[in-house]
Amino acid sequence: MTKLNISNEPKILILATLAGGYAGADSTGQSHVDYPANTYILPVMCPVMFPPEFFIRAYERGIDGIILMYSGTDSPYKVEAEGTAKLINATYALMKERGIDTRRLRLAAICTVCVKPFLKEVNNMHNLLKGIGFVKSELKSHPAPLQGAKS
Amino acid sequence: MSEKPKIAVYTCYCGGNISHTVKCEQVAKLLAEQPDVVVSRTNMSLCSDAGQSQIEEDIRELGVNRVVIGACAPSLHEQTFRKTVIRAGLNPYLYHHIGLREQDSWVHTCDADGATCKAVRLMAAGVAKARLLDPLEPIQLEAEKRALVIGGGVAGLRAALDIADQGLKVVLVEKTPFLGGRMAQLDTVFPTGEEAHILLADLIDKVVNHDKITIFTQTEVTKVSGYVGNYGIQLTQHSRGVSAENAKALQDACQQMVADEFNYGLTERKVIYQPYHGCYPPLPAVDWEHYNGEPININGKSEILKDEIQQFELSAGAVVVATGFDPYVPREGEYGYSELPQVVTLPQLIRHMALNPGAKSLEWQGHKVRDIVLIHCVGSREIEGIDEPQEDGQVNNYCSRVCCTATLHMIEELRENFPKLNIYDLYQDIRTYGRGHEDYYINALDNGTRFVRYHGEEKPKVFAAPKGDTHPVLVHVTDALTYNQELEIPVDLVVLATGMQPRQIDDLVKMLKVSRGNDRFLLEVHPKLRPVETAVNGVILAGTAQGPMNIQESISAASAAAAKVISLLGSGQVELQPFVAAVDPEKCNGTGACVEACEYEDAIALETFVEDGKEVTRAVVTPANCTGCGACVAVCPNRAIDVQGWTLAQYEAMVDAIAMDIVDLVEAG
Repeated sequence: MTKLNISNEPKILILATLAGGYAGADSTGQSHVDYPANTYILPVMCPVMFPPEFFIRAYERGIDGIILMYSGTDSPYKVEAEGTAKLINATYALMKERGIDTRRLRLAAICTVCVKPFLKEVNNMHNLLKGIGFVKSELKSHPAPLQGAKS
Repeated sequence: MSEKPKIAVYTCYCGGNISHTVKCEQVAKLLAEQPDVVVSRTNMSLCSDAGQSQIEEDIRELGVNRVVIGACAPSLHEQTFRKTVIRAGLNPYLYHHIGLREQDSWVHTCDADGATCKAVRLMAAGVAKARLLDPLEPIQLEAEKRALVIGGGVAGLRAALDIADQGLKVVLVEKTPFLGGRMAQLDTVFPTGEEAHILLADLIDKVVNHDKITIFTQTEVTKVSGYVGNYGIQLTQHSRGVSAENAKALQDACQQMVADEFNYGLTERKVIYQPYHGCYPPLPAVDWEHYNGEPININGKSEILKDEIQQFELSAGAVVVATGFDPYVPREGEYGYSELPQVVTLPQLIRHMALNPGAKSLEWQGHKVRDIVLIHCVGSREIEGIDEPQEDGQVNNYCSRVCCTATLHMIEELRENFPKLNIYDLYQDIRTYGRGHEDYYINALDNGTRFVRYHGEEKPKVFAAPKGDTHPVLVHVTDALTYNQELEIPVDLVVLATGMQPRQIDDLVKMLKVSRGNDRFLLEVHPKLRPVETAVNGVILAGTAQGPMNIQESISAASAAAAKVISLLGSGQVELQPFVAAVDPEKCNGTGACVEACEYEDAIALETFVEDGKEVTRAVVTPANCTGCGACVAVCPNRAIDVQGWTLAQYEAMVDAIAMDIVDLVEAG
């Protein structure tokens, strides 16, 4: 068995709604278009379920960039558009407290056939992280404990 | 979770689709090292009978109680493997599926090692989630075997008939006094050229005479409660205002005239009216919105008509929303509309033609039409920043889809009836997308119609011609087909091919808690995976309530809606996915934050219980009303509420697995 060549690239977590971004990622796959492999997509029903502390915890664990791919105002859930915008704002405030570059969190409306927008978001985040590096360096310089964080 | 997890992991080659890029054997070997994994295998094609048998065998013989599969997209085979684990006696929700094909091997073809590392992390995340999976049971509800269909147009009629034909009861409510909707206003319909009223009469006849269908006209839904299987509906019905005995006398005696909306204001009608000959119900009705309350004299007696409003309740297992569309009405001055009498909409011209059958020449307001121009995309494909927004600030940037064929169909009729007419068709793009629709375009090309192509940024302009000119109206347009030549077309009539707009049904949208898209039409959950379903269980869409469609498509959508209703209510029991909020009574201390965050009525409430002699207040979820959005999860300070099958702890475990350093694991492999 050959040894794997493991790249040491920043990790991008993509939380993608089943009715939007997750299906968009599948559509991108069906188009057979390459994008960086340091992207990990998890399906979600609706992103409003995540408290801001969830994102901070993810950064602390070593996720360097997060993209929330939701359905925007075209969501089947009434709360998704407004609720997710509020969630992002609250998370940005916490990220600033922790000294985490807020560009590490992106909100993008991705539909089920949004191949180009999906690729654009992924590549933009990948390029950004290439420039600003790993999140751990930012966390090290701001060692303040997270207020209100849950275990 | 009481039993120790014994996890089986399967990495599918997908016949080479995955294994051509991802080193599946290496993934399987690395996953075998993960805690709680009792077996980790690869398979050439896991969805094959042999692949599924292997999973069943492992569950039975190794005592596997959690299954993680990395294969094609979950949308393809998640249900297949749920059934596989059920056959082996395992709860179907103790299985997790990871898409390694669409989201890994097919998109990292130039980076096999990267794709393999990604597969390892995603599969490890699946294992981490699987450890925390609990067995779940679908939500079972008693279902009322009756559907409410809102809207008596072609979609509502078709849906009602299809549902009733399968033995379910249907209540069909129509807001106006007559059935038929927008289709009744058409003359002939494409692509068959049949007469709309004949097709409609046949459908109405079947609906009216169906013993399972009850029809309420002049009726609106005014209250909705409950949930799928058991919706409580309040209906409010206006009275007809006349009886079979006095209808003719009252109608003859009535003097009040109003614009006839059936003919788009081209004619007038009485406030006691029937829109057209042969309509259903045949009894005239009073137009309560416009009736001025003046007495009507019949047989020497004066009678003031009174609207006796009735309210009644019914229960229904599902609701079909078939509320239809409204045609776009150009604003004053748009292409000269309502300023120049020679500018009309396509629906108006259709009614004009229907009102003047067999006319030897096309006449408009007493003048013979020699030259006519038809302009496409009026109120459709509008561009923000260029087109003036409507009163509500909206710009209709969508394509209304039916207007191109409808315009070309009209051109064919005009050419057949008035061969000497000069016809100009001003279009952006010709979108005759349906079977047989392109023929209208080809025929128009052959029959002498002059096509002029304009761009959305540079729309045609319509002016009144100077006095004494040969024609009353001038149309200026830049023609993209002749290298942007500026054209001035003198015409007698301008026809605006107006698009479709969503109906004003704000109250209904609020009552049913359904969502709207940016275009303001109602939203289905997913156009491919869950078409015609809304996110609200048991509320189904039919026809143009969800977007522009032609009659064929409306009927197809209505039949799809009916099929959903039949499969939902047919057994008298409703089974729902268990992915709804669940409260941990140990942790909940009744803060009420979840209740405040929830947008869905009756989905969650605080209730007080007596336990061990003490009063305790806790949140209680009504699963049938919960959509599983998780808004309650984010706000609970005690983490006492979660969406079953998608818990926050499971996400945290998955994130940890993705973030892990796999160097050690790889070296071990």
